[in-house]
Amino acid sequence: MAASQPFKTAGLLKELMARYYEQGSRAREQGTPVVWVTAVSPVELVYAAGLFPYYPENFGALAAARKVADKISMSAEERGFFADLCGYARCGLGDAYAREHPVGKIVPPDLLFCCNTQCGSLQKWFETSAGLYRAPYFLLDAPLIENEPTGLIKNYFVEQLEEAINFFEVATKTPFSFDRLEEVLALSNEACRLWNEILDMAALKPAPFGFFDACFHMAPIVTWRGTKEAVMYYLALKDELENRLSKKIYAVQEERFKIYWDHIPVWPRLRWFSDLFAEHGALVAVSQYTHSWAYQFDLTRPLESLAENYSEGFSNRGFESRMQLKINLMKKYRVDGFALFSNRSCKPTAFGLYDKRNTISERTGLPGIVFEADMSDLRYFSEEQVRNKFKIFFEQLT
Amino acid sequence: MTEPKKIKEICAQFKRIIDEPERAVQPAQGEKPAPVIGFLPTDVPEELIHASGAQPCGLVSYDGTWVSRADAHLQTWACSLSRCTLGMALAGKLDYLNGLIIPHICDTTRMVSGIWKQNRPYDFMEDYILPRQVHRPSAGGYLTGELNRLKKRLEEFTGRSVTDKDLQQSIRLYNGNRAMLRKLYQMHGRRPDLLSNLDVYSAIKSSMLIPKEQHNTMLGELLAALEQADREIPAVENGGRVKVVLTGKVWEPPVLMEILDQSGVVCVADDLCTGYRYIANDVAESGDPVAALADRQLKRPPSPCFVNRERDRLKYLVETVGESGAAGVIFLHLKFCETENYDYPLLRDALSAANIPNIRVEIEIGNVSQGQISTRIQAFVEMLGGGEIYGSQPAL
Repeated sequence: MAASQPFKTAGLLKELMARYYEQGSRAREQGTPVVWVTAVSPVELVYAAGLFPYYPENFGALAAARKVADKISMSAEERGFFADLCGYARCGLGDAYAREHPVGKIVPPDLLFCCNTQCGSLQKWFETSAGLYRAPYFLLDAPLIENEPTGLIKNYFVEQLEEAINFFEVATKTPFSFDRLEEVLALSNEACRLWNEILDMAALKPAPFGFFDACFHMAPIVTWRGTKEAVMYYLALKDELENRLSKKIYAVQEERFKIYWDHIPVWPRLRWFSDLFAEHGALVAVSQYTHSWAYQFDLTRPLESLAENYSEGFSNRGFESRMQLKINLMKKYRVDGFALFSNRSCKPTAFGLYDKRNTISERTGLPGIVFEADMSDLRYFSEEQVRNKFKIFFEQLT
Repeated sequence: MTEPKKIKEICAQFKRIIDEPERAVQPAQGEKPAPVIGFLPTDVPEELIHASGAQPCGLVSYDGTWVSRADAHLQTWACSLSRCTLGMALAGKLDYLNGLIIPHICDTTRMVSGIWKQNRPYDFMEDYILPRQVHRPSAGGYLTGELNRLKKRLEEFTGRSVTDKDLQQSIRLYNGNRAMLRKLYQMHGRRPDLLSNLDVYSAIKSSMLIPKEQHNTMLGELLAALEQADREIPAVENGGRVKVVLTGKVWEPPVLMEILDQSGVVCVADDLCTGYRYIANDVAESGDPVAALADRQLKRPPSPCFVNRERDRLKYLVETVGESGAAGVIFLHLKFCETENYDYPLLRDALSAANIPNIRVEIEIGNVSQGQISTRIQAFVEMLGGGEIYGSQPAL
């Protein structure tokens, strides 16, 4: 990572994630159904129902970070899934067919629970997997909020949450406990609060923590959100960061610039990008991506509050609102420029970036670029092209 | 005029409408021009547009010349359908529109709407935000609400309030059009010697472009001529022709239908947005008309864009092949169409397991190798035991 010294909490993270994966493989043996869930979905319901949530996206990110996503994808491509589908999906589908499992075997689902706020790719990936594994599939459908949130969409979402609870009750043969949901929501609130306080430390100049660090430390906010483990982890991380601040240990030595990044990292080149920015004294301070997990639930009206948090986040908003969020983050973190990642695997975050780049520069006066790559598949990455683009970008900063 | 000549003439008119939609749309406006509201495929409730006093117009005629015109705004790995339509708009080729409705059926349609609004807005810009699960009770209530929202927006734009009676009248008009098109479709399956693939599919697509009143008159004449010809002219020996099911989104470019005709393929069923999906089911003519529109949407044939746990697309496709007596299936896939690409491997395997021969043809608007497609389709037809009398190279 960009940090000059390794984080002490890295060991804790490793331990926590190992425990998570172990639970996944054990869940079935212990009679706990494994539910496939998506990263931006109300996992709180799944934890409250006593089920084990498994994140196939996390599997994709892990394979991508270990630079084997392309290889695992090949098994899916040989079956006729096309190379232009989402890299995570090809990885997940590929592992179902593959004989070798370089990052461990993806845990098969007993149930699938997908929220399509992020994209329609997840909807299709999960649907296809439901067919492959012959498991029941629930789609929590989020109509796009083009302008302002509406009662129509919120009511539809709440009604579906009730349908989802019923879906889980059928699977567990146990009545759903709203008391338990309240506990889980409180734990989510606490973890999200800590996570966002940590992200905010990147606004300090110089900062002890940046986006690439956040990418490393985000696994618990995704997978353990709603549990004590996530709260414990972020307490420890925050503590370590405060300690680093007092010892003047910063993410980038001689930080000169702060940069906004959009959206997800190029996982197999995380280090490469991190070094590229550090060479120029630039800290990637913020991305909307890591800010996805900024939920705050009202425990007195859990379902409405879940609907607001999950259906009204940026991934379910239209052009103007998405752009405004980027601009707000740029202002809050006082960045000097922005880099927008046109991610081959992700149409919803990529489409519109060409126009947004121009409009953001007009409105903020900041220099910015759009570059082409893929979050997991290096076949869509041209090092020379990307380096040249960034060369011009860094020249604009000085 | 002899019946076959009349059939040919009306079919040629349909073809002309598709070839030059801007010419077909403009004269239809009359003295007091009705605003023209375009829509992208698929499933937009045209009855609502019609009842509000506007003229619906499907953006279903593509001029491949303009695909790259969108490159500065939309990545080249978006499907050519979205690139071409946006490119045409940017080039001013769709300036006859007063408004546009974009249905949210995939990530691309969801995102192209914002880009369009930034770069080429019309007076009326709306999204039709469909539920993407269609089997649970929550879908119906939401969709009815969404249709009422759209209705209100249209009323504000045209300045005409839509009564239940108005909407029911439009529904009857559209049901009438669909019923005639279904009749035409069946006639084509039975008498491909009188009505080719290109004829019937052009009839369907042209009905998305011109006013339904006008289209119904043309269809009425065509059906009368066909029925008479069917009685008077004995069916030509069908040797060499094979029945096939098409599955995918659109039949583009139109020359594809000519290739199918020349290869001895008779399309007897399909699930295309510019094909049978457009006419498959009707709207109830009694009760709350808005709820009836919602009901029709939820009961449409399975599509890869919508999750339907009650009606499996896989089973549906196999059953359709059985019911239609088709010998095989042609997947007509747009390059970069995610929803189809995810479904394809399992659909292909299900068909193969049911011993149904199938082939995948990938199409890209503005970049089609006719020779290659033609060769592949002819080889497929031969495999199905057809094509003997159509073995010579088509004169394309």
